[in-house]
Amino acid sequence: MSTFNIHGVPVSNGIAIGKAYLISNALLEVVHYQLERNEVSNEIKRLSGAMNEVKKDLLKIKKQLLKDSSDEFSAFIDTHLMILTDKNFSEKPKKIISNDFCNAEWALKKQMDLFVKKFEQIEDEYIKERKNDVIQVVERILKVLLGHPNQTNHLNNESSTILVAHDISPADALQFKNHQYAAFITDMGGSTSHTAILARSLNIPSIVALQNARELIQNNEQIIVDGNQGIVIINPSKDILEDYIVRQNLWGIEQKKLSKIKNIECKTLNDEKIELLANIEVPGDILSVKNNKASGIGLFRTEFLFMNRKELPNEDEQFEIYKSVARSMKNKTVVIRTLDSGADKLTSADTTISSNPALGLRAIRLCLSEPQLFNIQLRAILRASRFGKIKILIPMLSSLSELRQTKLLIQRAKKSLSNEKILYDDDINIGAMIEVPAVAINADVFAQELDFLSIGTNDLIQYTLAIDRTDDRVSHLYNSLHPAILKLINITIKAGKKHKKEVSICGEMAGDSRLTKLLLGMGLRHFSMHPSRILSVKKQVLNSNTEKLEAWSAKILKTKESENIETLIQKINQ
Amino acid sequence: MIKKKIKIINKLGLHARASSKLTKLACTFTSKIFLIKDENKVNAKSIMEVLMLAASKDTIISLEANGSDEKEAILEIEKLFIDYFGEGE
Repeated sequence: MSTFNIHGVPVSNGIAIGKAYLISNALLEVVHYQLERNEVSNEIKRLSGAMNEVKKDLLKIKKQLLKDSSDEFSAFIDTHLMILTDKNFSEKPKKIISNDFCNAEWALKKQMDLFVKKFEQIEDEYIKERKNDVIQVVERILKVLLGHPNQTNHLNNESSTILVAHDISPADALQFKNHQYAAFITDMGGSTSHTAILARSLNIPSIVALQNARELIQNNEQIIVDGNQGIVIINPSKDILEDYIVRQNLWGIEQKKLSKIKNIECKTLNDEKIELLANIEVPGDILSVKNNKASGIGLFRTEFLFMNRKELPNEDEQFEIYKSVARSMKNKTVVIRTLDSGADKLTSADTTISSNPALGLRAIRLCLSEPQLFNIQLRAILRASRFGKIKILIPMLSSLSELRQTKLLIQRAKKSLSNEKILYDDDINIGAMIEVPAVAINADVFAQELDFLSIGTNDLIQYTLAIDRTDDRVSHLYNSLHPAILKLINITIKAGKKHKKEVSICGEMAGDSRLTKLLLGMGLRHFSMHPSRILSVKKQVLNSNTEKLEAWSAKILKTKESENIETLIQKINQ
Repeated sequence: MIKKKIKIINKLGLHARASSKLTKLACTFTSKIFLIKDENKVNAKSIMEVLMLAASKDTIISLEANGSDEKEAILEIEKLFIDYFGEGE
């Protein structure tokens, strides 16, 4: 047995070592077989039995849910239960069995295909998506019929088990929740999938988009899941295993230490309050925002609303989502970033392939060239603004004229709402991402015209150093400690200070606890990061004295070589 | 038998959560209850049928009840619609 690695997208941090447990995709296993006339009634009984078992399971899950879960999940289970007990759903396959003399699995799948076809014809995107609920209910029944129902029951609880699945449905996810898996890894999915959200809320490592993990990994094989780096190691050698046991222990100790500082107020040794906010991708991430006691949401990416669908989301759909996030954060800040993707992500838009997409028609440029699309989002955000403390964040701004145009469109959206007598927060704050070097250099001008600035370090580094991070051949040149990057950040922080405007960083640098002291010393007071990073950054804040750090940071800003900067930072973090 | 026209006023229309609320409520009555939109007549006690009706905001549908508690049924279900399915919007 040789060791090998597979790479995926890490969606939840941590390290797990355990035995692989493969979950099959029941729909793929369905075969057709012909029954004898006298077997029909037994087959129908078998189907009813399986449906009853699933019903019992769902009721059990629902009961466990009442204690500790979000409405979103319990609504899912409710819908599944109702589908299951709906005669339209449960009786027809029985008829198919008696008419066609076919097996229960086949009848169930045949009927499901009919439903899915009908759902496909519905124009309303939201209702159309509900076909997935039907599919998931069918899958559960199939698993019982195929003889691997509560697969989780056969588990050996002594060693930790790592779930390897094609994809995880919300109902599956909930059941898995009670089985203490050490990690989830799936072939499908992205950072906004149910798998990812659940793993983050359970605080277990998870890697998705592994493509063919289910084919490459055998049941019971030993695997290591490194959720910090997105690597799955299959059949690790003794050396690797030992190394990872050490890493896992260190990680565990660190996490325990960190959870102790959760409820402590976030301020420095010299009593300066520091705001640690969270970046979220989907409303479901709010759970981990709250778990980590973030002081608000510093970046709510709205791209998920626009991805993987045929039609663009309408105003009401967007409004509902913004409102629910604003409401659940109560009076804490929620910074909503307007659409930050390229035209390629929008199915309806013109998809001319650009040779340089990062420099092409994207983010605010796309929104200004598609004012109708932008207007829908602005109206939705404004309407939600009266339900909490919402701020608008404009991505990829590169000139004042763009800012003026954007403000004009916001004014227009406000006016149209006023005309329709719809309420909104007229004083809503407008800020911009500082990620184009031209804007950072001129931050002074932009700070005068905006309510707040948010430095997007990932793109700022990419644009300043002209490095495509996704290109393996140059990615090693990507360097957040390049003196030019630190200078641009410094200019921006100073500009904010001069004009009394809040400056935050929402890129990866904000969540890198090695850099917390440097940024504090440079005068940064607002950090926005992945919720899982908050406590380790907080630990640094609690041990820092901003007055003392100022001189040290000034010295770093004068240092000419990144290597020397690295050394200085290592020293202060020791 | 009673029949009554109702306009769907909640933003998302008869989406999953609203549909399950409606179906749950309908099941508490002994009367037969139907929703009618254009040529489609569906059983309000079946979530699959209600979902398939795909009724969005501003659609006008007819509510039909037939049975001993038809009056209460219409009254209660109408309340649910007017109350935006408890979603407040």
